Amino acid sequence: MSEFDAIVVGAGPAGSSAAIRMANKKLNVLLVERADPPGSKNVSGGILWGNALAEIIPEWEKDIPLERLITHKGTTFLTKDSSISIDFRSTKFLENHSGYSVLRARMDNALANSARKAGAMVVTGVTVDRVAKEEGKVVGVEQDGEIITSDAVILAEGANPRVAIDSGLRKPIGDQDVAIGVKQIIRLPENTINERFNLKGSEGFAGEYVLSYLEGEAEAGGFLYTNKDTISIGAVISSSKLREDGQTHSYDIMESFVQHPHIAPLLEGGKLEEYSAHLVCEGGIDSVPRIYGDGYLIAGDAAGFSFSNGLMIQGMNYAITSGIAAADTVIEAKERGNFSSDSLASYERKLEDSYVLKDLKNFRNIDKVTWSRVTHRAIPKIAENLLYSMYHETGRPKKHLMQMILESSRDSGMSKSQLILESYRMMRRM
Amino acid sequence: MEIEEKLSVLNYKTDKSYAHITVNLDICETCPDRFCTFGCPAKCYTVIDNRLNFKYEDCVECGTCFFACSHGSVKWTNPKGGHGVKYKFG
Repeated sequence: MSEFDAIVVGAGPAGSSAAIRMANKKLNVLLVERADPPGSKNVSGGILWGNALAEIIPEWEKDIPLERLITHKGTTFLTKDSSISIDFRSTKFLENHSGYSVLRARMDNALANSARKAGAMVVTGVTVDRVAKEEGKVVGVEQDGEIITSDAVILAEGANPRVAIDSGLRKPIGDQDVAIGVKQIIRLPENTINERFNLKGSEGFAGEYVLSYLEGEAEAGGFLYTNKDTISIGAVISSSKLREDGQTHSYDIMESFVQHPHIAPLLEGGKLEEYSAHLVCEGGIDSVPRIYGDGYLIAGDAAGFSFSNGLMIQGMNYAITSGIAAADTVIEAKERGNFSSDSLASYERKLEDSYVLKDLKNFRNIDKVTWSRVTHRAIPKIAENLLYSMYHETGRPKKHLMQMILESSRDSGMSKSQLILESYRMMRRM
Repeated sequence: MEIEEKLSVLNYKTDKSYAHITVNLDICETCPDRFCTFGCPAKCYTVIDNRLNFKYEDCVECGTCFFACSHGSVKWTNPKGGHGVKYKFG
């Protein structure tokens, strides 16, 4: 007889959602979190698309600490001299909420509290070393030589899944699976943020950036989100490109972003409150390991569930939805009294029916768009040259559009045929 | 701004009796790329007099060095008992 119906490792959005769901169904749940308090190890480079939360926390917009409702989105190419943006504002975002900026130390602590209120036992400051196995079946978790038993274990330990790796339940992460995320929190008065980003009240701005001014092989994206009285700004750096480059430091990429002539004025006078780093799942469907087996399930970032296409980065909603699906699978398995791999296989079917695996499968190879010379060098260069030629009067005869495109593509270091082929592939993948 | 200044705003509960990451400096001695020194956002890995130097106390637990090292030198575990970095914002 096991001590718990289920043990959940990790109190982030995936783990706490799973714990809440199972506790609501009167399962005996232990939620183990290595941070104390929960959330104090967690960092996000994304916006919370909270609709998934409504299923377990109906009043989530009141119960979870949210920063600002995003009403203003931007996608920007930054070259050394220029900033080229698609700026999107919509009053539709006020009716159909597009997402909120959040601070994870606060949000995750509240989620863990919700799990506690729902009836789960929450222990913090406890590090699980590996799962406990008996005849190949997962029967609980092990920490400091002590075994706690359960019928099912849900691993929701995030993008650096030590327990899953050290237990042999997934292969170690590599360059192809993760990007390096670096982030800063900058404090500014609320009204200064509103003025600089042209926002009213609690409206928020979320911007994604292509840092095309980087030199060598290095490629990185950036993000900037407004919180109530702070700004979250960060860089997401391709691991494989940074390795290929072999000269650029991840720290310097972050620093160059905040010091960029078109970014620095937005942060001017702000006080650095936090510097952080976290891995970002970027590998898509090819990075997803086997997500269930005898006595265990893997959810959230630990399973590689996140999505980025350059226009947006999403992970928390995938975490929440997969956590709930894992919980429902355990609830059904308990009804059957069967926690074997066959019995837990419905987890994958649930995710295949939801946007989680549909998105990842539909956008296989999207990383070849988000991380490509076309996106990071050619398009920004062409756009910069075109716009500069159009907006700037030289006193010389004007050139035709096509001539400018061809000249700009040469500047970007790509041949015409390369550019055409790569652009075609890109449109297909997006 | 230098890394020391950025890390100085962070709270750590340092575990003086347990280094959650250990490095085999014999391997690092002959490492041809030392990608850890470019990857680690907290600059825990530095080269002093051509020798690799590592300090786990400044680690922000991202996990970059674990996959950055392709030579089997870095052994990565989670800090125990609530030790390590404590973010207030996240």
